[in-house]
Parts: sequence; C-alpha cells; structure tokens
Amino acid sequence: MLINFTLNHKSVTIDAPPDITLLTLLRDYLGLTGTKEGCAIGECGACAVMLDGRLVNSCLTLAPQVSGRELVTIEGISQPDGRPNDLQENFIEYGAVQCGYCIPGMVLAGEALLKRNPNPTRQQIRRAISGNLCRCTGYQQIVDAIEATAKDRTAHAKS
Amino acid sequence: MAKIESVGKPARRVDALEKVLGTAKYVGDFRLVGMLHARALRSELPHARIMRLDVTPALTVSGVKAVITCADFVDNGLYGFPVKDKYMLAYQKTRYVGEAIAAVAADTPAAALAGVKAIICELEPLPVLADMTRALEPDAPQVGPVSTAGQHPNFLNNCPVRHGNVEAVWPECEVTLERHYTVPHQEHAYLETEGALAIPTPEGGVAVYCSCQSPFINQGYLVAALGLPSELVRSIQPPVGGAFGGKDDLNYESSAQTAALALKTGRPVRMTFAREESMVASYKRDAMHMDIKLGAKADGTLRACEFAGLLDSGAYASESPFTGWRASIHAMGAYRYEACQVDITSVYTNNGYAGAMRGFGNTEVCLGIEQAIDELADQIGLDPLEFRLKNCLRLGDETPHGQRLTESVGLTECLTRVRDMSDWTRKRREFTAHNSQSPIKKGIGVAALFHGVSLGAEGADAASSTIEVNGDNSITLTSGLTDYGQGSRTVFTLIAADELGVKPARINIHRPDTYTALDSGPTVASRSTVVGGNAAQVAARNLAQTIDYAAASLLGCELSQLVREGEAYVGPSEEPVSWDNVVSHARQMGLILSARGKWSAPPIEWHHEGWGTPYFTYHYGAQVVEVAVDMGTGKTEVVGVWAVHDVGKVIFPQGAFGQAYGGITQGLGYALWERIDYDNGYLQATNFDEYMIPTALDVPDIKVAFVENNFSAGPHGAKNLAEPVLVPTAPATLNAIAHAIGRHIRDLPANLERVLLGHDLSKPGSGTACKLGLWTAM
Repeated sequence: MLINFTLNHKSVTIDAPPDITLLTLLRDYLGLTGTKEGCAIGECGACAVMLDGRLVNSCLTLAPQVSGRELVTIEGISQPDGRPNDLQENFIEYGAVQCGYCIPGMVLAGEALLKRNPNPTRQQIRRAISGNLCRCTGYQQIVDAIEATAKDRTAHAKS
Repeated sequence: MAKIESVGKPARRVDALEKVLGTAKYVGDFRLVGMLHARALRSELPHARIMRLDVTPALTVSGVKAVITCADFVDNGLYGFPVKDKYMLAYQKTRYVGEAIAAVAADTPAAALAGVKAIICELEPLPVLADMTRALEPDAPQVGPVSTAGQHPNFLNNCPVRHGNVEAVWPECEVTLERHYTVPHQEHAYLETEGALAIPTPEGGVAVYCSCQSPFINQGYLVAALGLPSELVRSIQPPVGGAFGGKDDLNYESSAQTAALALKTGRPVRMTFAREESMVASYKRDAMHMDIKLGAKADGTLRACEFAGLLDSGAYASESPFTGWRASIHAMGAYRYEACQVDITSVYTNNGYAGAMRGFGNTEVCLGIEQAIDELADQIGLDPLEFRLKNCLRLGDETPHGQRLTESVGLTECLTRVRDMSDWTRKRREFTAHNSQSPIKKGIGVAALFHGVSLGAEGADAASSTIEVNGDNSITLTSGLTDYGQGSRTVFTLIAADELGVKPARINIHRPDTYTALDSGPTVASRSTVVGGNAAQVAARNLAQTIDYAAASLLGCELSQLVREGEAYVGPSEEPVSWDNVVSHARQMGLILSARGKWSAPPIEWHHEGWGTPYFTYHYGAQVVEVAVDMGTGKTEVVGVWAVHDVGKVIFPQGAFGQAYGGITQGLGYALWERIDYDNGYLQATNFDEYMIPTALDVPDIKVAFVENNFSAGPHGAKNLAEPVLVPTAPATLNAIAHAIGRHIRDLPANLERVLLGHDLSKPGSGTACKLGLWTAM
C-alpha cells in the first residue's frame, strides 16, 4: 500500500506492505538505519521516534499508522547543514555516549521531553528516558546533557 | 603558550559525533547488493544426541541459497580457548538449549527462517544435568568430554590459593564465621545483539565485519575453521553496541558461519540475532556457590580465610577456567591474613553456558567475601568500614599470594574518602536509631575491592600500535584493541597526542582491522588503557623522535634545545616553526613519518600450587550504597551511591566517570533485579520484559571520585577501571540492606521476597518461552 507522511520535515510517499512495523519501514524500506532494534517488544526504546511530537516505539507501531502524520527520526534532528543540534552537542560535551546504540532513541526521548516541558527537573528527565534502556552509561551523563540543553534553551528563549 | 597536554583534561569522545547523529554503522545497519541473510537452527533440548541431520529440504525452500553444518568446517569447527570443546556448529551432540546445529543463508530473513524450519533434525534426549552441586557425583549425567587425566568428565578445573596453614590458625582464632552465599548467572544485556557480515573476496578469501571484542581472535578461529591461509582472512571491527565480556566467544561462531556461507554462495552474508535468540544462545556470567570461613582476633585483626567456590560453566568451558582463576586470586578480598586456603572449582552442566563478563570472577567472589567481612565485623562489634581500614592491604604488605606490594596501593585512601563523601559515620549511627521507629528502614553499606590489572597469569600480555602522518598532515593511529564503548580509542588518542605534542583533533584513530592493525591480544581484563595505552605511547614516541630530528635540522639546533609552544617547535633563536613546516621538512629530508610501538607487561609468575605474583599491579576501590527498604512491600530504593577508586591516573575524565556510573548501575542490577533462572536447562527470561536491567528511574545520581596513586609502568601512571567499578556495588548494596533490615540476604538478586520474607518464592518453570525464542522472526 502507499503510505504518505511527513518524514524529517519532508513529505514522502512509500509503497510498503501494510503489515510491517514502522521500524522495518524506516530501516529496510527507507534506509534510515539510525533507528535501532534492541528488543522488538517495546521494552528498550532503541527504536524510539517522534510521531506528532510524541515519543513512540517504532517496533510497536505499524507502518500505515504514520499515514498523514509527522514523523521525526534521529536523521531529522541535526541542523540543516548536518551538524549536531544543541542536544546532540551536549550529549558529546557531557560524555553521554559510550557504545552509542541507545543514543538515537535517547536523543529523541530528550527532544520529546523538552517539547512538552522546557524546564524539567532531573527526576522528570529520568522519568522521560525511563523507557529507553542503556547498559553502558548508568544514565547520569545523559541526564546531565538533557538538563544542560533545557537550561541553555530556556536562557536563550528569555534573551 | 605551553606544550600541549591533553591527558587528564576535558576531552570529547572520538566517536561520539557519528553516534549522536545516528550515522555510526553497526553490523545490522550494513546493506550490500545481493546480501543474504543467515539464520541458525538451534537446539531445543538441553542435552541431546544428534541422530539425524538432513539439510537438503531447506535447499528446496524458495529463497534459500545454502545450508551448512559442522561438516563444512575443518575438524568440524572445533574451537575454544583455553579449552577446545565447542564447535562452530554442533557435532554429534548438543549440550545446551540454543546451541547452533546448522545455518541457512537466504534472500530474506523470512526465507532463512523457513529454511531452518525445513531442516530435518532428530535429537535423542540425554539426561540433563541442571544442578551444579551434583555435577561431580559419580552417577551425574556426563556433559563434559571424557577426561584423559582420570577426572570426572564434568570437572573443568580447580584454581587454588595457598598461604600459610589455615588448620593451624583456626584454633587460635577468637572469632570465627562460616557462611554460604550464592550468585546466579547474569546477562550482559548489550543493547546491540550479536552479528556478523561476511563478504567473499575476489582472491578466494573472506572479509568479516564482526561485532566482537577481539578481531585477531576472530581471524585466528576463521583461519582454522575455514582452512584458509591467514592472508586471505580479514577481520574488521565495526562499531560495537556494547559487549561487557559478552562478545568474546559466541560471535566467533556467527562469524565462522557467515564466512562459510559467503564462501559457499559467493555473496555477502549477514547474521544478526533477535533479542530472544541472543538471550537463549549467548553465554552468561557464571553462577557461583561460595562457602566462606573467616577467623579473627577479638580486637578485629583478621587471621584466616577459607573459601570454597563452585562455578557453573554450563555446557562449555568458554573462558570459565580463567574466570575461576581470577576468582581464586580475589576470593579472600583485599586484606592481610596469616593463612588463606582458596579453591574455585568449575564444572560443566546443561545450564546454557558461562563465559566472560565484566569483573570476571571477582564480581562473584566479592559478593561473598565482602558480605562475610561485614558479618564478621558485626559479630566482633566493629564498624564495618573501620574493620576494613584495620585489615586492608597497604603499601609494603604481602598479599595472601605472597606478593609484596611495592607501589600504587590506594585502598586506605579510597575507604577514608568514601567514608567522608557519604557521611558514613553519622548515617550509620542515625539510621540504626531511625529504623526502630519506621516501616521504611534506612541502611548504608560498604564494600572494598582489589582487582588485578590486565591478564595476569592467563597468558602473554602485550599490545601494539601503528602511527603515521598522512599527506594532509593528519595522523592515523591504530591499536589492535577494540573500543566497544568503553572509550579506549579516545584514551589512545590523548596519550599519542601528548607524546607528539599535537592537538588530539589531528589524530584519527582507526577501529582495529587485521589488515592494518597489529595483533594485541584480546580486549578483555580492563587491559586497554595500561597495555594498549602504553603501546600507543611507544608508537607516538618513536614517531616524535623522527619529527624532532626534522625540527632540530630546520632550527639548526640540538634535540635538547627544542621547546614546544602549542604544536609549534621553538629553537634557540626563539622563532617558532609550525608543526606542518617541520613535517614538510622531514619529508624533504627523506624521513619516513610512520612508526610502530609494542609494549609488553612486566613479568609475573604464578605457581599452580597457589602462590606467586598473579598480577603486575592492582586497582583498589571502595563503594558505599545507601538504601531505603519498605517493609510493607520489600522494595529497596537505592538512595545514594558513592565510589572512590584508585586508578593510578585518569586519562580521559569524562570517559572514566562514565565507566564508573555505568559499572555501578550494572552492579545495582546484579544486586537487586537481574535474574537468570534455568529450569532444567531452559532459560526463563528471554527479553527485557522479564530480564530487568536498571532504568534511569532505578538509579540515583552517583558520586564518584578517583585516587591517583601512580603506577610507574602505566601510561602517565594509569592502571585500569572498567571492570572494578562494577565489582563492589552488589555487596555494598546487600550490606546496606542488612544494615536496614537487620539480616543478610545471601543469595542474589535481593528481590522483594527475599527482603520481605527472607527467602525466595519458588515459581514453576517452563521451557516454552525459551523454545519459542529460538524462532523469533527478524
């Protein structure tokens, strides 16, 4: 079937079977491999993407469910020239990255949080990324990176 | 402007950018034209004889291009180190649920799965050995190979430590304690599952991208199993999505299977695992039973330790003989004793199989000994932290192995600093008073550790680096050691940059590739910084010498007169010349701008009777954990963790803190939530819905500090870090729970039932999920 949606700020139409997951659509039909599979049952968040501004697990979403909606993957987060955005920059700056496999999902979890809560507490950040498993970092520097970004963006908005 | 110094200063991970952008390509992200997808047929029985294996029906399935069995490998693909007991595909028998029997390559993952289902495989069940404590009974089912040394076939090895005569000391001990502790298996839970991509080469060889820890080991196994000359086999290290010891064995099988299928079909072949397949088929941290006896004077001076450990290696040896050895060296803890007697015995069972995992034996024994130390301190009436300070190893002491500690022994400082950071003394006192009046019980516990640096007596211990100035004056650095997330590429870059006096950004460090890097042994045992870091330093120093000659020539001065200002060189005329100009001059002089460096670890000596110098130096550390236990539910909340570790020198601070936070979090998971149960050989938890690793909400903000007690042979004085940060977390947590609730939980994990009721609730097991997991569609 033809699926029409907005992918990383551009309109796309793709012919794909109706019974595949959004994760398969992204990775195997659109070649967007930044979105990872970690468990395929919605437990780990490695496949997290933003659908209409909300964080969803693409392994639990059927491809046709994105029809007419706005989808952002890790490939749509960076600046137009390909450089990392401020949150990605802070992931690097605060040492939030080790093996890197969970990081695309973590970045999207951070963005989804900051969209609805520009000034979160550390505990709210922890709750927002609690659907994203990371085995390397113990989460602390990921929380640091999201917290610093929130502060930077809030300060920037005020000025 | 001063000389450039990047070691120990804030720095960025060299591979962070591609990872935050999502452009890093892990094995599962590769797409090649004509690439086939591979899948293994895996045993549904924990122990069976293969009566019939007919793969020809698979070849009739649409899309299937090739099928292989053990017959497609030299010597049936027999491999393993230090014990050769496993096959690249099962030969005659299967010994655990999930063991690979045959492998199919097909156009799509679905066709590969259909092909696997079409294979005719008749298995005759054999008696199952599920209880390691029965493994050495005369009538136990035989899992291991027939012993040529007259041992029980299920006996794998025994690792002793002997110091003094415990029998003579026991009667003189005024206080003694005997306890039994157990730890279950632990799953590594790397977020990226196993994977390998093999590409046949025009010259008849194969290049394999394998998500593994040691590409040179992979290459060695491929050469042996495929019967190819080594120059036709290339092993390339892609980004690895976590390993923690878990990608140093099974992935070599996937690698060999994809390589054989690629050679058979002439097409690229990739195999990646679904999470369930990974959980069922992959090896775990071993389970261990520990019987510990301690003796002391009434004033709290430790005198003797007897430690008997039984290690469940499961169906294969993997690295358990080494795990058992490291466990034996550390079993008595970082203390002085008059006498010690340690025996760690490893046995075969049909409980999956066990191999390397972070901490590698020390994690297991530390859980036992550090609780026993607490229980003994309590019995004597001493504060457990002060008891440790009274007895812990100090500079100049002799270890229970007979090794004199001559440098870099920072345990006393770790203990005193973690005591102060955590506000230990006040909390210890106030919580005791608080708990008599509240259903929420507060507790604070401590654990200490020492951890031998690098391989020790496991084998030859050396690493190599290459370094080269490119045409654009950027620098390419290689190491034979793998960065699977721990940050070693950044560590090597910083060390080489300082040696050359250049900015780290000038250096591009490659991932290991057996065609371009030099064999540096396995990436295990937290050996990268000390062994690989030294190799990078030696290589950079060799290159720096060449560039210094060019600088002296250009500036018309002696080598000793050269001074650095930033990257620039300055001579007696005090006119700086840029590094680029010096390098250009070197080329004009005809100097070769590349170098190698090899570093071999200081010699060690271990006598198999149980004494000697097991490691060239040790990491020391201490952690304090604070908990709040709800006695209405048994739930333990981790309120705080404080950790102080003597790492010699911190090279890459951001990475060092990250290792500590991550290791401690894995330790909290081990202590409280992570549970691997085998029910008659069948794994019970096959995905993250049942195997609970910590989330961001389960752990508090952790406070970490480092003691830098320089090790003279380490690069900039560095020792190690990655494993030891995990080791003391679980016992510190259990000691905190004991402080809170007034009794020790001696079996992991300390789940709600054990905390609330004092014992586990037995749950009926099933083989269903485990069997289904082998057929999860990709």
